[in-house]
Amino acid sequence: MPDPAVPVTGPAPPSPAHEIVDHVSEIRLRVRAGSLAELLAEAGRAVAQLQLRGADASRGTWRVIEVSAPDRAALLADWLNELIYLAEAERWVGAEFEVASAEDGRVRARVRGVLIERAPALLKAATLHGLRVDDVPGGLEGQVILDV
Amino acid sequence: MTAVTSSYPTTKVGELLREIPRTARSDMRVPVRIYADDELWRQIADDRSVEQLVNVATLPGVVGHVFGMPDIHEGYGFPVGGVAAMRESDGVISPGGVGYDINCGVRLLAAAMDLDEARPRLEAAVHDLSRSIPSGPGRNPRLDLSTADLDRVLEEGCGFLVERGLALPEDLERLEAGGALPGADASRVSGRAKQRGHDQLGTIGSGNHFVEVQVVDELFDDAAAEAYGLRRGQLTVLIHTGSRGLGHQVCTDYVRQMDQVMAQYGIRLPDRQLACAPLASPEGQAYLGAMCAAANFAWSNRQAITDAVRTVFGRAYGPSGRLRIVYDVAHNIAKLETHGAETLCVHRKGATRAFGPTHPETPGPYRAVGQPVFIPGSMGTASYVLAGTDAALGLSFGSTCHGAGRVMSRGEAKRSRTGAEVRRELEGRGIIVRCPSSGELAEEAPTAYKDVERVVDVVHRAGLARKVARLRPVGVVKG
Repeated sequence: MPDPAVPVTGPAPPSPAHEIVDHVSEIRLRVRAGSLAELLAEAGRAVAQLQLRGADASRGTWRVIEVSAPDRAALLADWLNELIYLAEAERWVGAEFEVASAEDGRVRARVRGVLIERAPALLKAATLHGLRVDDVPGGLEGQVILDV
Repeated sequence: MTAVTSSYPTTKVGELLREIPRTARSDMRVPVRIYADDELWRQIADDRSVEQLVNVATLPGVVGHVFGMPDIHEGYGFPVGGVAAMRESDGVISPGGVGYDINCGVRLLAAAMDLDEARPRLEAAVHDLSRSIPSGPGRNPRLDLSTADLDRVLEEGCGFLVERGLALPEDLERLEAGGALPGADASRVSGRAKQRGHDQLGTIGSGNHFVEVQVVDELFDDAAAEAYGLRRGQLTVLIHTGSRGLGHQVCTDYVRQMDQVMAQYGIRLPDRQLACAPLASPEGQAYLGAMCAAANFAWSNRQAITDAVRTVFGRAYGPSGRLRIVYDVAHNIAKLETHGAETLCVHRKGATRAFGPTHPETPGPYRAVGQPVFIPGSMGTASYVLAGTDAALGLSFGSTCHGAGRVMSRGEAKRSRTGAEVRRELEGRGIIVRCPSSGELAEEAPTAYKDVERVVDVVHRAGLARKVARLRPVGVVKG
């Protein structure tokens, strides 16, 4: 059966981008970027957008986040699960992302986040269903299903 | 949303039952069976739920059939509305087969009074419910548990809440498993999971979770209704929520762990979210202990909400507002059950246990009629009380549906209706609505779901459970 998430072909987009694609009960997030570091940063921005829903995130504090995983697709899921955990457990929602290094099993990033007592929306988790990070011309495309 | 239309060979083996043979894909270990009428089948075949059932049929140790309930829809890993049983001896347990919201479930409370008596103060009471029970991403500062108390909730479930004054002793016999699964092990629940959940007891959460005030609108089975203490015109309260962030983190932790150890056990799967380990393995046993603990947290969550509802109704109505628990059922869980001569680990993801009169786990007060099952409709539509049947054991490992089942994505729902429109429509039908976000109201619009009456009708006609009562909403506090 064809996967509805057909990889993008042709030249990579000029800058990182993400889109939310319909899924009957959850959120399908697709991200494109020129490198793994940019892809993870863009995925972080997408999750921030979903959780903040326009709430003011102009200030905040910076912290370093490090995540490791057995492969780059799992790294995408684990990275987002770290952000989801921090938002719920510490009320700290990441908003601005500077990924210092990212390779196939490890990411190290500086993230500016805001303390929000009651975030407009929280996500349950980034799942492994349909999870992928593929090479595409000019960069990478990732997909992850978020449980909401 | 992309229409998929199932391409697997399907045989109609009964008016309401379709089968995909084991030979449909080379990695299947058992056939798949789906309960649906023609209209529901058309909807089911148009998303990826059939493919997801076929994927589940590849899990090691799976026995009999993998079942799809009539409310089935596409999920991640397991579809929502899927049932699969694995041998305890050599089968696997899959955190993705339970889902992130471990022991998401439904509890029904029955009031001593009827709607007519409650109506003059109903709007104030629903408003008070919305102020007294945190919803959305909210926390409950009144129940911020110490580490020691949280561990007792995880291991003792609702029994601990009796000690804390949040449950009546008689409540326990009207909860599935008495509100506490044996084998719960708090030490298997990570510090991260505890950090997410320590102040969430007594909160609704978001998504399709709710507390709904209803009236018994119609009875279909007088004997069962009498056994459940239900009568036409009576006020009821339905609570739908689960294990909140604690359960979400338990699932995240163990999906990750099992994804990394599967290869050691020679397990290869068509979908990483089905990550699993042999039930008898250290990883399988650790997850089982953590899952049971999260399930106990969920029963305790619904119990703490019950206590808050009782307080609100006491304020509004005095002694007439007293509420009795009818029952509480889980619809995201894996349980060790005896089926025939075997012990099986039955995964129900978006499916409800529905044991009949003769099953030893059917609680004493309901032995004559079968255990109660609650099927919430979409927001603003009717919910149903069903009774479990003995026949369901052979038809679906004693399982039935869990709700209406989505047909429309959240984005599509929001594009088709605004939250204000949904609110006006519900209020126009006399339903009091309290919801923190208009956007979330639109996401849960009735049009985003299948017709619950059709789903319940299939369940009844197929013998998976039988209709007892219909509940009509009069007040909704949405998560």
